[in-house]
Amino acid sequence: MQDLDKALAEIGAIRTQLARSETFHGLGPTAFAATGVLALLVAIGEARWMPDPGPHAAAFLTVWIAVAAISATVIGVEMVGRSRRLHSPLADEMIVAAVQQFLPAGAAGVLITAVLYGFAPQALWAAPALWQICFSLGIFASCRFLPRGMLLVGAWYLATGVGCLALAQGAHAFAPSAMGLPFGAGQLLVAAVLRFSSPRDA
Amino acid sequence: MPEPAPFAYEGLDRVFHERARLGVLTSLAANPKGLAFSDLRRLCGLTDGNLARHLQTLQDAGLVEVTKNFERNRPLTLCRITPEGRARFLEYLDVLDRVVREAAAAAKSETTEGPLSGLAPA
Repeated sequence: MQDLDKALAEIGAIRTQLARSETFHGLGPTAFAATGVLALLVAIGEARWMPDPGPHAAAFLTVWIAVAAISATVIGVEMVGRSRRLHSPLADEMIVAAVQQFLPAGAAGVLITAVLYGFAPQALWAAPALWQICFSLGIFASCRFLPRGMLLVGAWYLATGVGCLALAQGAHAFAPSAMGLPFGAGQLLVAAVLRFSSPRDA
Repeated sequence: MPEPAPFAYEGLDRVFHERARLGVLTSLAANPKGLAFSDLRRLCGLTDGNLARHLQTLQDAGLVEVTKNFERNRPLTLCRITPEGRARFLEYLDVLDRVVREAAAAAKSETTEGPLSGLAPA
């Protein structure tokens, strides 16, 4: 049995190596465009119904955590479907590799939010900026096996994150321009990059 | 009509089924832009003659291509897996994975239920 288990592990290692050498086309433009539109709609709703969001940090965080959860689900469902279609022999290995590349940055974003909320609520205004910076780091980490245009998306989120850190405080904290606009535009940019770099049969 | 032969494993192509060639193809498949002959020889632990012989077999089967150029006035032999080679290699790995899983399942059921009781294809 040990020999068979070793053989299976070696086959798995070869497949993982092959998966890491391919460009990942599992991310689909439709899901990213949908999340971009969702973010912009939430930003419009926030501007309409929460004109002074400063004192409503908890509501702001709840709404955006919900948007992030919905977006992750939509992107994840499309990623599994596309990967099975476009990378059929290596789909599972490629999905695992993609998630592994992005996960540390995503986990850092979650932990930062939890720590700010629990121990430094006066600094919560920085959460949207830090989310965008974490997101950009996740994209840069995954860039090696994503279409090259994704570097532009990473640069976008880094720039908006740093910009928000510098400008979106005080009266501008939690404003739609600090979260909804950069996130919505960024997701639409991802959709455009993926659309123009997708294989023809995608 | 021929009887179905679930243990025939037609996908286990003889060309791949040699340890050195498996190593060569794994190295090339993980480096789609190609590898220099000397790098491939080092990665696979083969001699010049052995590697050349295996590459010739793989080339004849249309699985790899070997090009000879010059880089900085020095000859460079570049080995690259072909798209067909990559696709066939992935199919081969799938079949190999299935064979080993079925053997593992059979061995497991033999130890729990007695000899031959689990010898059925999945």
